[in-house]
Amino acid sequence: MKRVISLLFIAALALLLLYVVSRMPPMGEPDIPTAVRVVPRYLEKAEEETHARNVVTGVILNYRGFDTMGEVTVIYCALAAVLAVLGREKRGRIRDYVELSGLRSSVIVRAMVSLVVPFIVLFSIYTILHGETSPGGGFQGGAVIGASMIIFTTIFGLHLSSVKVPQGFRASLEGVAVITFFLVGVLGILGGGNFLTYAWPKVSESVHPALVTWLTVLVEVGIGLGGAMVLISMLFAMVREEGADEPMA
Amino acid sequence: MGSAWDVTLNALLLGLLLVTALLAVSARDLLAAVIVFSVYSLIMALMWQRLQAPDLALTEAALGAGVTTVLFLVAIFRTRRREEE
Repeated sequence: MKRVISLLFIAALALLLLYVVSRMPPMGEPDIPTAVRVVPRYLEKAEEETHARNVVTGVILNYRGFDTMGEVTVIYCALAAVLAVLGREKRGRIRDYVELSGLRSSVIVRAMVSLVVPFIVLFSIYTILHGETSPGGGFQGGAVIGASMIIFTTIFGLHLSSVKVPQGFRASLEGVAVITFFLVGVLGILGGGNFLTYAWPKVSESVHPALVTWLTVLVEVGIGLGGAMVLISMLFAMVREEGADEPMA
Repeated sequence: MGSAWDVTLNALLLGLLLVTALLAVSARDLLAAVIVFSVYSLIMALMWQRLQAPDLALTEAALGAGVTTVLFLVAIFRTRRREEE
């Protein structure tokens, strides 16, 4: 009975979705609303209105700013859920599977990782700071920082990587993505415009473009740092060994 | 780069996507499923790049192929490797 009900429910949901999709304008046609109105508008006005030389950044951080802020909040909530279930690692007395398994990686792997990780971090910093003019940005750079720390943790163990990125440092920066985004958005209201719009009537024309560019970079840095710290904290919470409370030798 | 070559490459990538997606869902060994899923993400990243979305390609390569794979692996090692019947 339960199976029948769930099957019926899924079938009804699928029918509804298919109906909605069939009513959508066909993809790739030249005269659909997105191709006629949205895309030309973005391409023509994005640079003027958002002062972002990369239109994608303009769209993500400005036209669809609420959307991006929601995404930032979602990853923060994901971390909160992980920490609520697993808890944070105890400071200074952590071990993980790398140490407990007794299998040390070979010298070649360790040398390669310690050689490559700084360059990965450098690349991610470039991605974050250059997101305003080239593909990439806060999300991408933050993800790459997180990935580099994950590589480091899998090879050198949790203890060393929690020395490199201490808990207090992470805890104070995890919320920074949401906070910067919100503060810069409110700055738009204080300047006389809307949330996250940089159309301030009171700011003079000569300062405006530079100010907007720097605010965009600030938001990118906030998203990058916050996202990276969320990913690293999530990994640390999952990797740490439950019963290992004795201090490390 | 001719268009015939483009079409062939796209078809190849899409075919690989389908195969890896099916394998990832049907694999009984969860470790194998996670590895196949990471390959899926890598092909997806190539696909994004071919569709001229380098932002998404970067995210997919770092998050899909890197971070989620490791998080899944950790989750598997904290639980059980085989799926229960």
